Amino acid sequence: MPTFKEVEVLVFESVRLLAEDFDLVTLQQPSTESALYGNDGVLDSMGLVNLLADVEDAVSEQFGAAIALADEKAMSARNSPFLTVKTLAQAVLERIEA
Amino acid sequence: MKHIVITGTRKGIGRSLAEHYLAEGWGVIGCSRGESSIEHAQYRHYELNVCDESAVIEMARDVKRQNGAVDALLNNAGIASMNHCLLTPGSTVNAILQTNVVGTFLFCREFAKLMRKSAQPRIVNFTTVAHPLNLEGEAVYAASKAAVESLTRIMARELAALRITVNAVGPTPVMTDLIKGVSSEKMEALLAQQAIPRYGKAADVINAVDFFLREDSDFITGQVLYLGGVT
Repeated sequence: MPTFKEVEVLVFESVRLLAEDFDLVTLQQPSTESALYGNDGVLDSMGLVNLLADVEDAVSEQFGAAIALADEKAMSARNSPFLTVKTLAQAVLERIEA
Repeated sequence: MKHIVITGTRKGIGRSLAEHYLAEGWGVIGCSRGESSIEHAQYRHYELNVCDESAVIEMARDVKRQNGAVDALLNNAGIASMNHCLLTPGSTVNAILQTNVVGTFLFCREFAKLMRKSAQPRIVNFTTVAHPLNLEGEAVYAASKAAVESLTRIMARELAALRITVNAVGPTPVMTDLIKGVSSEKMEALLAQQAIPRYGKAADVINAVDFFLREDSDFITGQVLYLGGVT
């Protein structure tokens, strides 16, 4: 089972690669609190779709776990798990552990 | 080599589609509830129920590991039940909606993610002439395919940003297991409603799918193509 830190590194790398592909300057050096999606977020809905697909791929490759991030839990959560790098990493870890 | 995912490849039109694309040099990734009926070096089979979300996610992850990307998806798997609406159990309604609607949705969702690196990503869904013809005895089946048509039109818009075209083919009755329980009188009456009143063939369906998969069809999306002159 990966640690939170390992998952966070994976999310950082996915965000960084996406930022390069889509020329998103503010996400090219992401931090834990970098806003991804929502009011302050840089990503539009297609950007989020691409990021989640990249993260799911990376999780499968690195940790051998098949997860779906846009699940019922994510949709019904009071606060979206896709707001920041930290919340996304937390959501990834929860689904790997489930 | 281009890779195509086809659901419901064990028999019927799905198997014909798989054999056609294997002959055309594609790598074909098929699935069905039963074991594979196709032996070919470029064919790989997954045994699953298309409406089992975790199984579909597992399959997509494995395809990603083995093939990297996917170029096309044919959502062929489907079930039907010919029955008067007053004689149709709720469990039958649920089963048809699960396979035809949920199954189509899950495969679109998971495999669209694997199409992002394809040069010509294509999704073709399967509907039926039973929907536009409002055929008696097919209320639930036709309603499930109406939902597939709606998914097709809206996904066409949502996935356009990923360059994925999403279209649907609506075959007329083809001599497969899907219609084996229907009387010949009923089938004759159904065929009489088509502009070209004959049974469809697998080749008719393949021709329509080929059209949507062509490189030049990248400006065609959100369309439903009925066969036999049904409108």
